[in-house]
Amino acid sequence: MPDVAEGSDDQTDLDLIARWKGGDERAASLLVERHAAAVARFAVSVGAKGDVQDIVQDTFVRAFGSLDTFRGDSSLRTWLFTIARRLLLDLRRSERRRGEQVEVQAHDAVTEYDALHSVVAAETRTRLHAAVARLSKTQREVFMLRVNEGLSYKEIADVASTTEGAARVHYHNAMRAIKEFLDE
Amino acid sequence: MNDCPNADMRDLLPDLVNGRLDAEARAAVEAHVAGCADCRAEVALLRAVRSAMHISPALDLSAIASAIPAYRAPVRRSWVGWRLAAAVTLLVAGGSSVVLLNRAPSASVSVAVTKMAPVAEPIVAAAIPAVRPSVDSVATAPVVSPAPAYGRPAAVPAVGHELAMAGGSLTDLSDGELDALLRDIESLDAVTTTDVDVPVISPIPPAAAGRGAP
Repeated sequence: MPDVAEGSDDQTDLDLIARWKGGDERAASLLVERHAAAVARFAVSVGAKGDVQDIVQDTFVRAFGSLDTFRGDSSLRTWLFTIARRLLLDLRRSERRRGEQVEVQAHDAVTEYDALHSVVAAETRTRLHAAVARLSKTQREVFMLRVNEGLSYKEIADVASTTEGAARVHYHNAMRAIKEFLDE
Repeated sequence: MNDCPNADMRDLLPDLVNGRLDAEARAAVEAHVAGCADCRAEVALLRAVRSAMHISPALDLSAIASAIPAYRAPVRRSWVGWRLAAAVTLLVAGGSSVVLLNRAPSASVSVAVTKMAPVAEPIVAAAIPAVRPSVDSVATAPVVSPAPAYGRPAAVPAVGHELAMAGGSLTDLSDGELDALLRDIESLDAVTTTDVDVPVISPIPPAAAGRGAP
């Protein structure tokens, strides 16, 4: 799936938001094309399973419904991650109330990643998946935001409701854990 | 795999991999990486992780886009509207106060008449014209007629009826008295039952009070 890099064309996110507010629905489509894949990756990295389409769709619907509260202090993508994370937490809570198994275990995550990318067969990649899957939930979330999405510690702190310093510590602990796993 | 002791450089490696460094910072980090085996290994690891994990589930983007509702501007309360409402309220309140002040003697008389109503016939007929002109007499009116009315049951159907019955019968009144009675009844209907104009009653000066004291 093509993942249009943030701000990679002439139109910034804020430009597109302004166009959408002016009645240009195509601007919303462009924003979806630009950020949906990243939101989906993030959702998977924090435990979304078969409901990724719904999570991503709900994230955009909720975001566009409250775009007037978006001041541009953070990037739109960071803001979308924050909304997606809240949706996932709400989903987990409701699933927990129903007594469903919600915590992503290591083997579940490996299976999930494998299911998402069935062509991944190389041993190195499989080991990387396993290494990431063994991280704690917070470590995995921070690590994926830092490595996969390139967010700064400040942005990660905004998304994960933590501090910049804590995000840095989680990232380095995650990196150390992955190195140790791969060195075994 | 070891960690590079240069923590600042290590912190920037994910930004290098994601292309988020400006030209100057990128050149500095690349120069460090070129001479640091640990950082080279870490960059290779980061690229491998990114390659392995940078996978997006299949999404129906058009479905997502079509689920987004059209923009609706938020309804904002207008300060102009609030100011206008406040101004109108102030004008109405002020105007009402002026009207009440101008009608204060009449209102006071009406209250006095209402209280005096059940008293004997001559008082009703005489009290209305006698009390009307003077605020001072209004203030003293209830005193002039010690009111058996307060002992009456409260449920009296209508003031006009009470006034008429107090006089015995409407047929006993002359045309002029009937006209005066009707005018007073009309004025009673238009007057509020509260806010008897207290300020018009002159307080007794301290000196006079002192003289009156035993």
